[in-house]
Amino acid sequence: MVFLRNWDLFRKRERPAVLQAYEAGPWPDPRSHWRDASYVVLDVETSGLDPRRDVLLAIGLVGIEGGRIRLDTCWRTLVRPPEGFLVDASSIRIHNLTRAEVAEAPTFDAVLPSLIDHLARRILVVHVSQVDVGFLNRALRTNYGGRLAGPIIDTARLAMRLHDRAQILGEIAHEQPAPAIQLRALATSMGLPVFGEHDALNDALTTAQLFLAQAARLDPKGNLSIKSLLRSGGV
Amino acid sequence: MEEITSFLTGYPPFDQLPPQAVTRAARGMQIEYFTAGQTILEFGGAPAKFLYIVRKGGVDLLRETGSEIEIFDTLGPGEAFGYPSLIRDQAPAVTVRAHTETLAYMLPSELFHRLREENPAFHRFFAAVAFDRLGFALKVRQDRADPALFQTRLGDLVRRSLMVISPDATVREAAQLMSKEGISCLLVDLPPIGILDHNTGIITDRDLRNRVLAAGLPADTLVREVMTAPALSLSTESLAFEGLLLMLERGIHHLPISEQGVVVGMVTNTDILRRQSRSPVFLPRQVDRATGLDELRNYTDQVAMTVSGLLDAGARIADIGRVVAVAHDALHRRLLRDIEMEIGPPPVPYAWVVLGSEGRLEQTLRTDQDNALIYADDAPPEAAAYFRKLAHMMVEQLVACGFPRCPGDVMATNPQWCQPLASWQAMFRRWIDVPEEEALLRSSIFFDYRQLYGDLDAEAGLRPVIARSQGNTIFLARLARAALRATPPLTFFRSVALDDERIDLKTRGTAMVVDLARLFALEAGRTETGTLSRLQASWPTASVSQAAAEGLADAFELLSLLRLRHQQQQIARGEEPTNLVVFPQLSPLERRELKESLQIIARIQRSVAMTYQTGRLG
Repeated sequence: MVFLRNWDLFRKRERPAVLQAYEAGPWPDPRSHWRDASYVVLDVETSGLDPRRDVLLAIGLVGIEGGRIRLDTCWRTLVRPPEGFLVDASSIRIHNLTRAEVAEAPTFDAVLPSLIDHLARRILVVHVSQVDVGFLNRALRTNYGGRLAGPIIDTARLAMRLHDRAQILGEIAHEQPAPAIQLRALATSMGLPVFGEHDALNDALTTAQLFLAQAARLDPKGNLSIKSLLRSGGV
Repeated sequence: MEEITSFLTGYPPFDQLPPQAVTRAARGMQIEYFTAGQTILEFGGAPAKFLYIVRKGGVDLLRETGSEIEIFDTLGPGEAFGYPSLIRDQAPAVTVRAHTETLAYMLPSELFHRLREENPAFHRFFAAVAFDRLGFALKVRQDRADPALFQTRLGDLVRRSLMVISPDATVREAAQLMSKEGISCLLVDLPPIGILDHNTGIITDRDLRNRVLAAGLPADTLVREVMTAPALSLSTESLAFEGLLLMLERGIHHLPISEQGVVVGMVTNTDILRRQSRSPVFLPRQVDRATGLDELRNYTDQVAMTVSGLLDAGARIADIGRVVAVAHDALHRRLLRDIEMEIGPPPVPYAWVVLGSEGRLEQTLRTDQDNALIYADDAPPEAAAYFRKLAHMMVEQLVACGFPRCPGDVMATNPQWCQPLASWQAMFRRWIDVPEEEALLRSSIFFDYRQLYGDLDAEAGLRPVIARSQGNTIFLARLARAALRATPPLTFFRSVALDDERIDLKTRGTAMVVDLARLFALEAGRTETGTLSRLQASWPTASVSQAAAEGLADAFELLSLLRLRHQQQQIARGEEPTNLVVFPQLSPLERRELKESLQIIARIQRSVAMTYQTGRLG
């Protein structure tokens, strides 16, 4: 027990080199056109919604380069919960993950280098960022004392922004309620296909398509900068 | 990834790929979202780096003609673009623009090329040249055709050893040889034995019965006096179906088969028929055996069933036309012979001709009557009355057998279309010399005539007159202009993709090819009447390239098949067959074939307009 705590403290002081390199950036130039930046769209599966109590079970992500989703960059991994953590039966049902699967998954420690490699120098795109960003930061902080660096865009926030704009421009009725914030409902309402089963990678792919559609709508003249995009949906 | 693979496999050519290839394509795919009006590929711009597949939304294909920009196609979900530029690594020949918000799947070029190398179906589907794509589409259909009828070669059917007899042998010796060998046919030949030439003939057991015994000839009659020579023959490479059709058309049962000019065996109709159950051969036989009109009442329905069977078996449109012709011709001959028996022999020789689609051997499932009667010039005064009576009886009986009257009254009962040869010659000449609206319309029906019955040689009297159109630039130019009046309904694909627009596969489909083929044939002075034979025969001399003629032929084949299949389904549902199809109800493959066929027709119409300067005519 004592030994474990000491080790923990040691790790917090000396952040891994990958994490240090990650924090150094550089991040995309805010003045450039949004299509010219690299993005990574991310979704996580967790045992519940409370980052302080629940744990990360899976991470899925996909890259966007030159305004195009690159399916060859799809990446999904399960994450082994800390020893002694019992995954609740209800979350198992949601994700179709079995206890055996997560028990054999790599630890967050083992996953970290690949994860950081995918996040480095890219703008992070997530849907309802509090949850995903909260869990990732929690994991980074407890393990290494680090946190996410670089710009983050929230597609739920972009959806609200597009809704407000449409109301101001009179494109939709004033009394029309704000769109459902749920990822799948939002994608469907924009006529976008939804990727299969509810898992971290499929949801990241659906989020990626949603993001492209939103950015395209915000950019009718073809001159939308990263700065303006972040003003609309940055976290 | 299942989302993408299951989408892709819903459309050609991905539905033809093995599952692991589709998965590999999906894994390497990129996805982009385009706003309405955004240019995706630009005419003359950078070559495409991807194969684009519309996932959601739609794109317009634009072409610049002079100063005008024309939308010539609109693609919807599942349709692909960018490949001609991608394959050749050249600037796009068209501009592609999103007409609504569009989500596109994009297959990177390395993956695209690898799939093309590894999968012939994928390679064929994405041929860079539109002509090739149509040709390949047809080939795929034919590869799926019923193997017994459409893939068996006559060479595969040759089983019997070939027995040869000299023309100077007696018929008794021939009969003895046949009964000793247990065969029904002998090859008659002089040395060099077995080399197919003008003195190679055949003699059959039917000849011995009909030409010897029934004719009361003695047993020492020489074979050369009753044989059939020179014998018709086909090569070992010919399709079994081709052999069957030839036998049907000529009313024969034996066919010598040759390989590079050497007879290698004999095939009988039963050799071919043994291989299949539903056969067109029974139709003419049934006509001969019918004891009266009552038994022939549902004749057209039976012809339709045969056509339907051939269609399912994968027959080519020209073959179907020949089968229908054999069946219809047999009926016509039977009816006319019966009428002659009833009202007495004709005062002078005459010709019963069919016109339009029947003349071109392009009848479909239901055919209206289009016929005319031509009789010899030296006719006595009472001849007109005789032929009027014959025509009336014939038209009535055809109606009874299921051929509706022609709504335009193009039938031999119309006095205008029942005349002596000299009047016909004068009419044809006038139509060519004074090509007014009415004349052009008439020539398009009557120049496609075919004689079914009668001893008058209509061809010898009329074809030289029609040949006068060759070199008559005014007539040809007017004919060209008339042929360009109907245009392929391409610009409307945009609306078609959205609602339930209908498209007429005849007037804005096959008929456009028929008109072009007639123009080329008359220009080249060819006598063929079938659209496909006209195209094939005309290109060496007419103002159409071989590639264009073959492209048109493929378009005609695909449009005709689409139309026939559509009518077949209507009949199966108990509806009256029509030429109208609802575009969105077609399968993705049919839609593509239809569009590409129409685009090829449009292209050739444009070049005809240039050649004939149809825009300048007064």
